[in-house]
Amino acid sequence: MARAVTTKTKAINTAIAWTIAILIFFPILWTILTSFKTEGTAIADPPVFLFFDWTLDNYATVQERSNYFRHFMNSVVISVGSTVIGLIIAIPAAWAMAFVPGRQTKNVLMWMLSTKMLPPVGVLVPLYLIFRDWGLLDTRIGLIIVLTLINLPIIVWMLYTYFREIPNDILEAARMDGATLRSEVIYVLLPMAVPGIASTLLLNIILAWNEAFWTLNLTAANAAPLTAFIASYSSPEGLFYAKLSAASTMAIAPILIMGWFSQKQLVRGLTFGAVK
Amino acid sequence: MGRITLDQVQKKFGDVEVIPPLDLTIEDGEFVVFVGPSGCGKSTLLRLIAGLEDVSGGEIRIDGKPATDLPPAKRGLAMVFQSYALYPHMTVRKNITFPLKMAGMSEEEKKRRVDHAAEVLNLTDYLDRRPGQLSGGQRQRVAIGRAIVREPAAFLFDEPLSNLDAALRVGMRLEISELHERLATTMIYVTHDQVEAMTMADKIVVLRKGHIEQVGSPLELYRTPRNLFVAGFIGSPTMNLIDGDEAGNHEAQTIGIRPEHISVGDGPWQGTVGVSEHLGSDTFFHVHDTGLAETITVRAPGEVEHRAGDTIRLAPQMDKLHRFGSDGLRIA
Amino acid sequence: MATQHSRAAARIMIAPSVVLLLAWMLIPLGMTLYFSFLRYNLLMPGNNPFVGFENYAYFVTDPAFQAAIVNTLLLVGGILLITVVGGIGLAVLLDQPMWGTGIVRIMVISPFFVMPTVSALVWKNMFMNPVNGLFAYIADVLGMQPFDFLTQAPLASIIGIVSWQWLPFATLILLTAMQSLDSEQLEAAEMDGASAWSRFYHIKLPHLSRAITVVILIQTIFLLSIFAEILVTTNGGPGTASTNLTYLVYAESLLRFDVGTGSAGGVIAIILANIVAIFLMRMIGKNLDA
Repeated sequence: MARAVTTKTKAINTAIAWTIAILIFFPILWTILTSFKTEGTAIADPPVFLFFDWTLDNYATVQERSNYFRHFMNSVVISVGSTVIGLIIAIPAAWAMAFVPGRQTKNVLMWMLSTKMLPPVGVLVPLYLIFRDWGLLDTRIGLIIVLTLINLPIIVWMLYTYFREIPNDILEAARMDGATLRSEVIYVLLPMAVPGIASTLLLNIILAWNEAFWTLNLTAANAAPLTAFIASYSSPEGLFYAKLSAASTMAIAPILIMGWFSQKQLVRGLTFGAVK
Repeated sequence: MGRITLDQVQKKFGDVEVIPPLDLTIEDGEFVVFVGPSGCGKSTLLRLIAGLEDVSGGEIRIDGKPATDLPPAKRGLAMVFQSYALYPHMTVRKNITFPLKMAGMSEEEKKRRVDHAAEVLNLTDYLDRRPGQLSGGQRQRVAIGRAIVREPAAFLFDEPLSNLDAALRVGMRLEISELHERLATTMIYVTHDQVEAMTMADKIVVLRKGHIEQVGSPLELYRTPRNLFVAGFIGSPTMNLIDGDEAGNHEAQTIGIRPEHISVGDGPWQGTVGVSEHLGSDTFFHVHDTGLAETITVRAPGEVEHRAGDTIRLAPQMDKLHRFGSDGLRIA
Repeated sequence: MATQHSRAAARIMIAPSVVLLLAWMLIPLGMTLYFSFLRYNLLMPGNNPFVGFENYAYFVTDPAFQAAIVNTLLLVGGILLITVVGGIGLAVLLDQPMWGTGIVRIMVISPFFVMPTVSALVWKNMFMNPVNGLFAYIADVLGMQPFDFLTQAPLASIIGIVSWQWLPFATLILLTAMQSLDSEQLEAAEMDGASAWSRFYHIKLPHLSRAITVVILIQTIFLLSIFAEILVTTNGGPGTASTNLTYLVYAESLLRFDVGTGSAGGVIAIILANIVAIFLMRMIGKNLDA
């Protein structure tokens, strides 16, 4: 509503909203702060908020004791790898469905979506056995395959909704201008779809990074990404809050930042275009 | 060269026949306008010629060579879309260069042709801008530029002016006509606006429900409409169509007389003035209670004052009377 | 609208996605179904005889199964209630004019980006721990006995943790939907003399109904499969107090290595999820036509 709101109303809104927002954000903030404390300060009674001796020791310790960097790289390789492969498979499919819709297109899309509804636990046993027999357990490649497949429907759907916003006229113009299918895709479609593809990429990296069913069940020490690595903190030895916080901060920071940038696309991606 | 022949060309979407088999020849260098109400199949026909849709039957030949199975890129035609369909991520120069790049032309040749087109279309100052930064008329010119650099066998225009405001439309209409004079290339132009058709065409193709109602020069259509549909569609304000006794007197089911062929003054018909529209150059009277039809529209040249409610007499020019039979066809 | 050329190309381009997803769906699904009719335990090598519905009977009559079903329903229902009501409230709040909307928004949606294992461990240790957790400290300050959340109220605690993760999702979607409401409608209602409450109840809420349905359905799909949060906080316990269907199947298959029973559980989980999925697909399908 384009209308002046009294400063008082605005101030009240601001106060309420900030209070709630800070409460919601507090666990994350507290984790970040704790990661810079010593283990002693981390459980101090009363808790200390900002005024303590800031230290980076925890980050060093986490790396030393458990080769944190390895797990971080596992997360990177698995999430980026599965997303990129997914995009390569999905872009042509989304192109075809958006621009050459046939009678079956809608059914195919709905069917793809339905595979996403399959509860992972329903196929846990066979997948575990297949992985065991093929030597894919605890390998990056194995997880890349699984995450590509579970996120493929989302990638196809997101791209489809973005592609559908590109006017067909422009692609026809390219065809009239003598472009082959290949040049049409490379010179016209892809450049116009860059924002959509970027958001799809971002959202899927986020989803893959945080995936915690298959990563927990199909990996061990070797290929464990951060989700699985952090889970090892569930059986603590001694004082570990600060170290848990340091490991957690590093695990969530990159994705938190990416997530902030992709808020809008997130809605579209996660609702399969039902809410924009 | 651009002689386009349609031989029994037909289009079905599923079971719906949008274009029943039709024949049409477009001569090289001709400016042909497809006109008709929305849904008459004119755009579909254009897209069939372009190759953006497959024909369901029949054959299309361009310069005698069969083109029915050629993809759009291979037909040597250029198209200007209603939405302009400019590539938003490319500058004006890149937009215009695109078809040449696709044709694998040399750098100098590309530059020469683009610079020439830009000069012709007054786009030289805008070559580095993106389509988003241009006005509607400028975008239209870029779309035309993209079409002319290829030196195609024929240009296809799909309602190119319908997104422009009225003043600009008149200007662009003139520019396209001039372009046709200069290039002397075949042009096929689709519009629902009969004024555009009348002012631009060498040959008008009137379409209804996929059927060709009449093909002819603007004046042929104006003077001798083949049937009631064409009679009612061509001309503005539309022709007065009169049934009943008066038509019977002329041995016809329906007679038609254009508003400009009725003069106010002493004449056989009489009626009451309803609404009058003063355009300055002309005055249109809508006359009621003539006993002939609901209203008779009359066009009087210049400024003529008659108030609503005035009774006036009307004199039709009998030699400009059109007669139609019970089948709707013109009686010679 | 297209031509033969592009249709042929389209088929080739869709093929890889379809083939992969078809394989992904049919092969493991077929195996699960097959295993569910076998006596098959990885710890007891043998010839895995066909036993009909024995595994199903065993799985369904297991007291843990009833507990798991109840827990699953409580988890899904509780989290949905909290996130949808909270989400509507937050969406309305964030839609108001204020200073620093951008930052508030970022803070509110952040929990969604925290990986499940991190959020579960942070809540478990740094907040809910009865000795060193912040909640224990607060209880102490208020003069109350510290409460051992994950032992005394494991399910409620997990509901709390997962709600914290999903509240941003509901908020974000509802806020997006709210902002798509045509402001002229609200202005018209205001001209008609509607109070702020009636404007919310008669205009905003009906406008949100679609988005609310979408939130409920999508969250349900994900919430039926809650796993990591349970694994790292309670391991399904104490006893079966926080075991849901997903966790039970996991325990059956990968802790007790009973492939047959685990598979039968998997099939049951699939049937449950499908019931929800049918409704969701209808919603989204309708949207495709629009």
